[in-house]
Amino acid sequence: MSKVLGILNFEPSYVHVRGLEDFRPISATSILGRYRVIDFMLSNFTNSGIEGIKVFIKNRPRSTVEHVMHTSYNLNSKRGKIQMLHGDTDYSNNELFNVDIQAFKTYMEFVDVENPSYVVIAPSHFIFKQDFNELLEYHIKSKNDITMLYQNANNTDTQYLMGDILTIDEKKRVTGFHKNRGKYKKGNVSLETYVMSALTFKQLVDEASMTSSLYSLSDIVSDCVKVMKIGAYQHKGFCACISTLNAYYEANMEIKKERELLKLINDDWPIYTMTNDSCPTLYKPGAKVTGSIVANGCQIEGTVINSVIGRNVVVREGAVIKDSVILPDTLIDKNVKLECAVVDRLSIVTHIKELKGTREEPIYIKRGDRI
Amino acid sequence: MKKNNMVAMILAGGRGSRLFDLTKKVAKPAVHFGGKYRIIDFALSNCANSHISTVGVLVQYESILLSSYSARSSTWGLDSKGGGVYVLSPREKDETGLGLYAGTADAIYQNLDFLDQEEADYVLVLSGDHIYKMDYDKMLKAHQEANAEATIAVIEVPMKEASRFGIMNTDKNDRIVEFEEKPKQPKSNLASMGVYIFSYKSLKKYLKEDAKNPDSAHDFGKNIIPAYLKDNLKLQAYRFKGYWKDVGTIDSLWEANMDLLKDNSGLDLFDPDWKIYTDDASATPQCIGSKAKIDNAFITQGAIVNGDVSHSVIFSGATVGEDAKVSESVIMNNVTVGKGAKLTRCLVADDVRIPEGMVLGKKNSDEILLVSKALIAKAGEEHE
Repeated sequence: MSKVLGILNFEPSYVHVRGLEDFRPISATSILGRYRVIDFMLSNFTNSGIEGIKVFIKNRPRSTVEHVMHTSYNLNSKRGKIQMLHGDTDYSNNELFNVDIQAFKTYMEFVDVENPSYVVIAPSHFIFKQDFNELLEYHIKSKNDITMLYQNANNTDTQYLMGDILTIDEKKRVTGFHKNRGKYKKGNVSLETYVMSALTFKQLVDEASMTSSLYSLSDIVSDCVKVMKIGAYQHKGFCACISTLNAYYEANMEIKKERELLKLINDDWPIYTMTNDSCPTLYKPGAKVTGSIVANGCQIEGTVINSVIGRNVVVREGAVIKDSVILPDTLIDKNVKLECAVVDRLSIVTHIKELKGTREEPIYIKRGDRI
Repeated sequence: MKKNNMVAMILAGGRGSRLFDLTKKVAKPAVHFGGKYRIIDFALSNCANSHISTVGVLVQYESILLSSYSARSSTWGLDSKGGGVYVLSPREKDETGLGLYAGTADAIYQNLDFLDQEEADYVLVLSGDHIYKMDYDKMLKAHQEANAEATIAVIEVPMKEASRFGIMNTDKNDRIVEFEEKPKQPKSNLASMGVYIFSYKSLKKYLKEDAKNPDSAHDFGKNIIPAYLKDNLKLQAYRFKGYWKDVGTIDSLWEANMDLLKDNSGLDLFDPDWKIYTDDASATPQCIGSKAKIDNAFITQGAIVNGDVSHSVIFSGATVGEDAKVSESVIMNNVTVGKGAKLTRCLVADDVRIPEGMVLGKKNSDEILLVSKALIAKAGEEHE
């Protein structure tokens, strides 16, 4: 098999997850109670047999580094390797590290040293399940210069905003790119996943950085639709682009349905994450829990309806949590009522007895807040 | 904190025959417990949390799963350089050929070379089938301060139950003066927990002598401890206060699981300073369906509940179907409880599929019903 290098790109500039983004990159954001967003894409890589992976981090690397360091992702400890590359005064001017091309260029020597035949570049702000081997096989068979993954979506008026929409001809060739401004309901959304030879990758990076220091990978690829053969490969099944707080909230709500959950995460396609060695969750007498996903280590005495409860969360007597996402290590005190809220890690809700957002605009409670 | 120079030896070779089908193909220490654990996780986590770096696990009966599980030292953080979990099974030796472990003392005797190699100053002998949290490092300090040759952990049991245990009779300084195995007329209520610390030098001598004795049962309780007492070696009792349970029967295994539902059982698994480590299953979080009803339960990741669960423990990968009712029961790994099934006071073994609508167990039953694949097959035949 030809050597394939996985590259996990950092989030593009259109990603703004209100509140959560102030504390960590999107890749390290907790999702579904026990995972981080990055776990899904890194598991895609390792489940596809890709053993060399570069993780690019724009800034605030601590939480991503810590998480990835303590998760094996089922890579063997000798031949498998995840390298984390982030802004660093020795290597880069941090301002330039805002655009993926500059980051790739800065660290190209670490790509060279692996000497891969192909690279698979995947985004860190998407959640979907994809066997990259299938994608690579298609890429090789169809003799494309670049193959891109896309989703035929019917909610582009509310989701995937400012992402790329692809025009694809009947031969599955990408003929144009445009930004999604939410005008239409349907569209072929780019999943910002590219397969190409390592040589093409290096040429594109060089060319883009010569064109402008603000050029991104998506910019240079879209410039090349006429001169290169860019193929499109359709992804089917669940897909979420975590680009806003609402999208983050909706992704949690969607995946927590049993049917979606088991399609996305199962024995054939495990999603690896860091273990916290928490004990199981204790539902105390009087607890009422329905339609929810609960991580381990929780103690629940109150009511939880249609929500996602993170690891080591305490829900005291009389508390009612409805349609909410509660991140790990939080305390929801007695008689607190929450609806459509996203409660960030390590916070305590005790004094304010009622908080109500909407599905479109969930209330956000800051990390470590005591309210 | 610095590691101590004590090597732990976990006795994990027994049959556990009173667990019936649960231990047919799996040694008792590897039986699942408390949702996500295996019984041996408690002894191994205690070792790791007590700054012990080297642990020998003595296996014999149906050891495939137990050995492969125990060998993964990193599960308990016992993977630092110079330490680890070593699976010690009976082996063929140059002089004596292949010999099974004849008793608890013989199992240690046959591995004296391992203890020599590890340069142990102290040997901690444990059972692999008890549920408790204990700091062996504190016990070692007590052993050293008392200048004892052996220290035995004891727990106070109700006097009327004392005749079920090995009982230590002590003087006012907790020095052991007599040991009685299951006495009819107990003189004290200090029961041995099967946790011993020995100073290695004297232990080695006594094990060697015991090995030469053809009449010996090669057992710590029956032979080694009495020999120490006879020679007037200093044997100290170490009083342990807290939760401790031998899970040797279906009823006691069920009870220990039920204890996890209580706030005041004394076994706090939520304590972040003394975690019980276990193999990390890459399972989904627990999924509680929109029709589910949960009243007092201990549930772990990978479980899917769509029915009614009360006073029960649900293990990893178990699913409870719609309209099913599970009460006062232990549902072990990957069990499927079919739609509308009703389980009361049951302990359902790993991988069992309960057919839709099946009713098993009774409220206020004297004994807990062990639901095994064989039982389901038999129930199916009777139905036809």
